[in-house]
Amino acid sequence: MSKVKYVKTICRSCHGGCGVIAHVKSGKVVKVEGDPDSPISHGSLCSKGLAITQLAYHPDRVLFPMKKDKRGWLRISWDEALDTVTEKFQEVRDQYGSESILIGQGTGRDFESHFSRFGNLLGTPNMITAGHMCYLSRIAATLTTCGRHPAIDYAGNPECIVMWGCNPLWTNPDEYKGVSFWNAYQKGAKLIVIDPRKGFLAKKADVWLQIRPGTDAALAMGFHHVIIAEGLYDADFVSEYIHGWDAFVDRVISDYPLDRVEQITWVKQDLIRKAARLYATTKPAGIHWGVPTEQTNNCIDFTRAAVGLMAATGNLDAPGGNVFHQPPGTRSIAEFSAHRSLSPEQRAKQLGGDIYKLASRMTIVTPKCAWDAILKDEPYPVKAGYLVGTNPVVSRANAKEVYTALKNLDFLAVSDFFLTPTAELADVFLPAGTWLEQDHVADNWKFHGYVLARQKAVEIGECWQDHKIFMELGKRMGQQWWDTVEDALDWLLEPTGLSWEQFKHKGFLKGEMKYYKYREKGFSTPTRKVELYSTTIESWGADPLPKYTELPESPVSQPELAAEYPYILNSGLRTPTFFHSANRQLPWLREIRPDPIVEIHPEAAKQHAIEAGDWIWIESPRGRAKLRAKLNSGIDPRVVVAEHAWWYPEIKTPDHGWDISNINMLTDNSHESMDPLVGATNLRALLCKIYRCEAE
Amino acid sequence: MEKISWVIRKKDCMGCHACEVACKQEHGLGVGPRLIQVREESPDFIPIYCHHCARPPCRDACPVEAITRNDQGIVLIAEALCIGCRDCIEACPFGAMQFENGLEVAVKCDLCTDRLDDGKTPACMDVCPTGCIRLGEKKSIAAVFERTA
Repeated sequence: MSKVKYVKTICRSCHGGCGVIAHVKSGKVVKVEGDPDSPISHGSLCSKGLAITQLAYHPDRVLFPMKKDKRGWLRISWDEALDTVTEKFQEVRDQYGSESILIGQGTGRDFESHFSRFGNLLGTPNMITAGHMCYLSRIAATLTTCGRHPAIDYAGNPECIVMWGCNPLWTNPDEYKGVSFWNAYQKGAKLIVIDPRKGFLAKKADVWLQIRPGTDAALAMGFHHVIIAEGLYDADFVSEYIHGWDAFVDRVISDYPLDRVEQITWVKQDLIRKAARLYATTKPAGIHWGVPTEQTNNCIDFTRAAVGLMAATGNLDAPGGNVFHQPPGTRSIAEFSAHRSLSPEQRAKQLGGDIYKLASRMTIVTPKCAWDAILKDEPYPVKAGYLVGTNPVVSRANAKEVYTALKNLDFLAVSDFFLTPTAELADVFLPAGTWLEQDHVADNWKFHGYVLARQKAVEIGECWQDHKIFMELGKRMGQQWWDTVEDALDWLLEPTGLSWEQFKHKGFLKGEMKYYKYREKGFSTPTRKVELYSTTIESWGADPLPKYTELPESPVSQPELAAEYPYILNSGLRTPTFFHSANRQLPWLREIRPDPIVEIHPEAAKQHAIEAGDWIWIESPRGRAKLRAKLNSGIDPRVVVAEHAWWYPEIKTPDHGWDISNINMLTDNSHESMDPLVGATNLRALLCKIYRCEAE
Repeated sequence: MEKISWVIRKKDCMGCHACEVACKQEHGLGVGPRLIQVREESPDFIPIYCHHCARPPCRDACPVEAITRNDQGIVLIAEALCIGCRDCIEACPFGAMQFENGLEVAVKCDLCTDRLDDGKTPACMDVCPTGCIRLGEKKSIAAVFERTA
């Protein structure tokens, strides 16, 4: 009997970071366990990570490169696959220019550095990610406001935690994991929860604010109103380190009295007052915020107002507040990505760059601009694409347009594990490795101060880790890369004095924490202060102060439409078992959540004769989707909340049921509906109606 | 021998279902039997699990004595003896007894006896991020409630 080998590595079944011990027997991973030595997860591991063996060894997984012809998918060699992609891309480059090649990723499999490098060296500014409405948008807003992303500092023992539209115990926490939050909470930290749903955290909270979805920016301004009116701000910090405080105070006092904030947010004034006082007077206090705040037209304004709260209360870069973690000393992702090799001429061609100024600064392309270019040749044609670990047909707004656009490309290559509805539209399929098949200096793009050693436990079939695919494709296209994946990691680690081999044994590195760095150097903004009044945004002719703009599709902005579509739809319900469109084919996880769920208040359900477990249609002015009703008395009766990114791997036709339960059949990606600075799509507050699916 | 007991504190269960998948992996189970299960009744999460009763109704119901309680107080089923009559499933007051359709036998939580022998905790407990699964001897499990009541 062969012996079990234990490989310490790092999970990436979500944005990852949790420590794992993989049990390898006869060249196969037979089991995974949480790594108790992990500084991130301390031995816990979630259902997604635990189910990785069912993903890696799934019978539907594609284990070799393929191309599609009239007969369907055919197995080919890596050489043929890479040569085909290279040839097609070169044709497009010669005829139209590099900008006519679109590259795209989803939430990434920790290959962001390689993805960007590939795009930059290819000479295309058109790299679509989820970044227009997820995480990168907050990086953009925080960079502009205070120079760096201020993550909550659980290690510094916050006494008060504001959980703002976020449940890190369930899903995708980028910096800290749920375990860190839980430990701080167990030590007795006060908890303020801002969530339209009464969930586990809301039940634990000292104050729960049941907000109207999408109005977070108004609520943040309401917090400011209390803090200013009651003199709860840190006067020294404010006078010395905030640019534009007086103008901001004027805005808050004149435009955001609490009765107005209550009207906008549905949160009672007394509760806003209670929460703001608790946050401002408990020291230290940290804000842990999630993507719902970014997935509206108020994306940048909310984030800026939230940074304002951290700054005004003196919690910025203070222990236990929101801090700028120190990087661990590897080469930066920006350097690896070779951003400077994209020429100013090419950069100027970035789709939507002239409209979404903050996006253009961060190389964020809101996908709508890419679909427009493909379908209307505006402002120029986009002819070829390479999508890596992304399933935009189900995960991006306005699914019908996404599907049509991708179908219209002359050439599409997709790299993934399975033939997803998106991959089925491709001409070439490149089989990617899971995190069990990956060597990488993990988490090197996050703002928690760590890098972690993800080391390959096994190789499966002919799959390559994404990093190798980018390298080999890049080299064929004449780009400068390293000979091997390990060589690139050596270069990334070089400033730390460690080689990849040495780092693997060490397990992780952490930058040494230093608080109050601004006292020496100020903040990395044009005025060296926290720019609540943004000189950068002002230079683009936009409003330099944060504000709340009414949602583009709401009972307030469109009362006539609301008469026909009376419910507010939040299209972003998360589950602990699925990561966006992933994992629907894993038996252990699908058993737990077999169907797409929409949560409805029992009173609302009664009005439409909907009972728990009924299949119902949710319909917006743009389309409809079929989900299964779950009754939840912990949501407002005017709100329905639906899971996103559903498709059916068990439907074996190439569509895999992409348009049946896909909530993005209903979402809007029109320019008018998006955040004007970054192009964030409005996914958390639309109008819809609901009705039972009659027998069909 | 001191008996082992355990408890899942419902109020700290946040419905992540990691325990379920860890259990399936540990016991090599596919779709079907769920030796530990978290039922979702929004906004509550209700763990369903074997309580390893002192006088187990499942054991008493078994016509072929396939179910026993060992020295540590762990209630075990000898699957080889099980005739698939499902009387134990009827008898269990917690809904914890499960059935393996493929093999036509009842299956149940064994509290990961192999792991306990190795000095480890049960697989479900190992991965729980809130620590709501507590294992201890009879007296110490009572203390869990006294400390946190």
